[in-house]
Amino acid sequence: MDIVIVGCGKVGFSLAEQLVLEEHNITIVDQSEASLRRAGDQLDVMTVRGNGVSVATLREAGADNADLLVAATNSDEVNMVCCLTAKNLGTGYTIARIRNPEYTSSLAELRRNLKIDMVINPENATAIEIYRLLRFPAAANIETFCRGRVELMGVRLQEGDFLVGKPIHSLSSQVKKLSLLFCAADRNGDVSIPNGSFVPLAGDKLYLVGQPDSLDQFFHLLGRNAPQVKQVFLVGGGKVSMYLAKLLSATGIRLKIVERSEDRCRLISERFPKAMVICGDGTDSELLDSENLTSSDAFVALTDRDEDNLIISLYAMQKGLPKVVTKCNRQNYTGIVRSLGLDSVVSPKFITASHILHRVRGMQNSQGSVMNSLHRIADGAAEAMEFTVGPNTRHLGTPLKDLRLKSGVLLAVIVRGAQIIIPEGSSCLQEEDSVIIIARGGVILDLNDIYDDDAGFVVPTGGAEA
Amino acid sequence: MNIKLVFKLIGRILLVEAVALVIPLLVALLYREDPVPFLLTIAIVAACGLGLSSLPCSKKQFFTREGFVSVGLIWIITGLVGSLPFLFCGYFATPMDCIFESCSGFTTTGASILTDIESLPKGILFWRSFTHWLGGMGVLVLATAIVPTMGIRSHYLTQAETPGPVFSKLVPKQSQTSKILYSIYFALTALEIVCLKLAGMPLYDCFIHAFSSAGTGGFSNRNASVGAYGSVAIEMIITVFILLFSLNFAVYFLLLTRRWKEVLESDELRFFLLVVSGATLLITFSNLEVYSSIGESLRYAVFQVASIISTTGFATADFVLWPKFSQMILILLMFCGACAGSTGGGMKCSRVLTLLRSIRRDLHHITHPRSVEVVKLDGKVVGEDTLHSLLVFVGAYMLLVFGAALIISLDGFSFAESFSASLTCVSNVGPGLESIGPTGNFSAFSSLSKGVMSLCMIAGRLEIFPILILFSPTAWRRT
Repeated sequence: MDIVIVGCGKVGFSLAEQLVLEEHNITIVDQSEASLRRAGDQLDVMTVRGNGVSVATLREAGADNADLLVAATNSDEVNMVCCLTAKNLGTGYTIARIRNPEYTSSLAELRRNLKIDMVINPENATAIEIYRLLRFPAAANIETFCRGRVELMGVRLQEGDFLVGKPIHSLSSQVKKLSLLFCAADRNGDVSIPNGSFVPLAGDKLYLVGQPDSLDQFFHLLGRNAPQVKQVFLVGGGKVSMYLAKLLSATGIRLKIVERSEDRCRLISERFPKAMVICGDGTDSELLDSENLTSSDAFVALTDRDEDNLIISLYAMQKGLPKVVTKCNRQNYTGIVRSLGLDSVVSPKFITASHILHRVRGMQNSQGSVMNSLHRIADGAAEAMEFTVGPNTRHLGTPLKDLRLKSGVLLAVIVRGAQIIIPEGSSCLQEEDSVIIIARGGVILDLNDIYDDDAGFVVPTGGAEA
Repeated sequence: MNIKLVFKLIGRILLVEAVALVIPLLVALLYREDPVPFLLTIAIVAACGLGLSSLPCSKKQFFTREGFVSVGLIWIITGLVGSLPFLFCGYFATPMDCIFESCSGFTTTGASILTDIESLPKGILFWRSFTHWLGGMGVLVLATAIVPTMGIRSHYLTQAETPGPVFSKLVPKQSQTSKILYSIYFALTALEIVCLKLAGMPLYDCFIHAFSSAGTGGFSNRNASVGAYGSVAIEMIITVFILLFSLNFAVYFLLLTRRWKEVLESDELRFFLLVVSGATLLITFSNLEVYSSIGESLRYAVFQVASIISTTGFATADFVLWPKFSQMILILLMFCGACAGSTGGGMKCSRVLTLLRSIRRDLHHITHPRSVEVVKLDGKVVGEDTLHSLLVFVGAYMLLVFGAALIISLDGFSFAESFSASLTCVSNVGPGLESIGPTGNFSAFSSLSKGVMSLCMIAGRLEIFPILILFSPTAWRRT
């Protein structure tokens, strides 16, 4: 597809990076020559210097024939005007990054009037992600499918967990009767889809998919059902904090927010009268101690500096807080962060890029099955996708044991009406089912992409059922 | 420095070259000539290529440094590879002569050490011109167009190989850009072959001259170059085509996508046409003392101006016999060269134009010390760092020309000969002044001079820095 990205900042660059890997034709528009040069040197893209609201610039970037335009400059207004102009020039689909909370209330109207097809708000998306993590503190990360009826969670195994050192098929019947599936395992960045003989080790990150209550019970068996979060300690009072505070205060969770700027503090206090707002340097351990850090159940580091977030998260972890969430935009260092024991790391850039990627994939498969959602797990090494089975899907009604799927692809869950089915050899797909697919490497655009039709022989599907 | 990946890449390029060598082999077979020189070369190149490209390489890092070093090395190796058929055919006196001829071919210079071209087999002459065609658009551009680049950011490679101060893609994907460039190149070459055939040139000669003018090289299969045909039609066709090949290829892409306005507003294009017509007029009048009529004078002037500014180096007349003023204009044209993004050499019109504009700005700045002014090209601001690197380039170019002239002068030739030999090699033109003029050749120079000139040709073709970096110890250090 021909894609124009306006604004070559953090989001624009990482989005371009992803889309280039998927063989799209990318043109980047920015005003800064330095960031364009960086993009041009590192990625196979075309760069156009100019302002994204100017018709001439957009035309030079080929917006008149582009399938998609993503406006991700640091100004909401520029993004809006850019989308409107592009749409009038003839761009097929427009996505605008709009972050200012003031606009969120009138978003529907803005979208209609400015002909923006999709609005992304990285800060809000990040806040929602953190909120989910806080709601279920035992998991390192959570994705939901089918409106929350199926969840995918990642958990880091520790020495002494009952899973460690035994093949999955030898687990007790107590675990086996739960409706869940081990769908991916991340061992030091090496991601695999485990089968029955997979032996989990301490330090592995396991991804489980299944019904929320089954997952609950699993974590109970694991002895990791951390108590519900009642008080959250937030450092940093930026946009993410505001969105998160709004979500958390609606559920009655108590908040303590540390923010450096006094003006900002006043604003937060005005918005969230119930929250305790502290004006001070959140990276100062004395301040954290004096504000009784340990009395909170969860700690969220949201300052605008990755390094600060990492350091204070480590401090909070050392103080023994059960749940620590860190915002870190830089992807390069996730390995190091992981080895330090910080598991719940969220990156607004990564989340935003995932959202847009999902939309791009959806646009590529106009016919066939519909992709309802896409989540990238294990730092993007694997993807979890939800599809609705359509009339064009092949092999409907064929038992799975007679089908061969591509290697690295797992059919994890079938949702049929009210039923949640963990597939067995005898299960088969029916029209209007929702299915959740886990794929490692390779791009799955359509449900039909999962079948390996070249193979003449039949082997059972992978995956290890608990 | 990820030297393993660089070697692996060189291996791939060698394989592409081995395939390219099949074409002259077929020509040799067609004319029932000895195919052994080509068979031997193909065997050697393919073996080296397979060996290098199967090197195990775990590290995938490939940055600007690796890009520049690979381009430099690939061109030097390509020069050596191209010399093998000459070496095996036995028509050349020394191995250095073979290397000089091959470098002159790939860099589209067109300077020759041969005294009697017509005595050579047709296959060898075909290969000589075919190197022009391959080198014109670039070996690496060809490679990025047809083979996957192992995940290497091919941008670095084509950037170093495509002439011009700024490198811009036509479409977002590099491989796609390379394909478009080669398609245009291929189509124009085919068109020229047809036109030359219609004008009455023998088919084999059509191929030779079309390849030479497409790459703006200048090798002919006749001792008297294009002048041997004595046909105005052929001269006019070649004039038009060498001018077409010395335009920025982006212009053709703009024409194909119907962006007329951008073509008309191209400063470089206008400057190029202005220089060509201005130089033609001046030489026409200055040459009136040699030629009897204005028409005749114009005919030779326009061909020679086109031939020199496009850095082709074909000849219809011996300009060594022209007045000194005309010769001086030709020397200036050698400096200027063709447009950026073309197959031609020289400093490139866009650089000269930008240089002139920044001189004007600095003059203005002296009279109004507090004035702030930007230099523009095609209505777009030229960044200060682009200006800076442009000035450094011009400086390096001059130093290279004079430095090489210094070494060449050891052979005891006159100033005009030493200097024009150096300039003609760095600018990839071909002929020089006095004894190395259109009717002369480079055979009298010593092996040292020929080696220096070969290196100068490659340095000029790659715009100096990819070759210069090979001599810089910092590029080779591990850290």
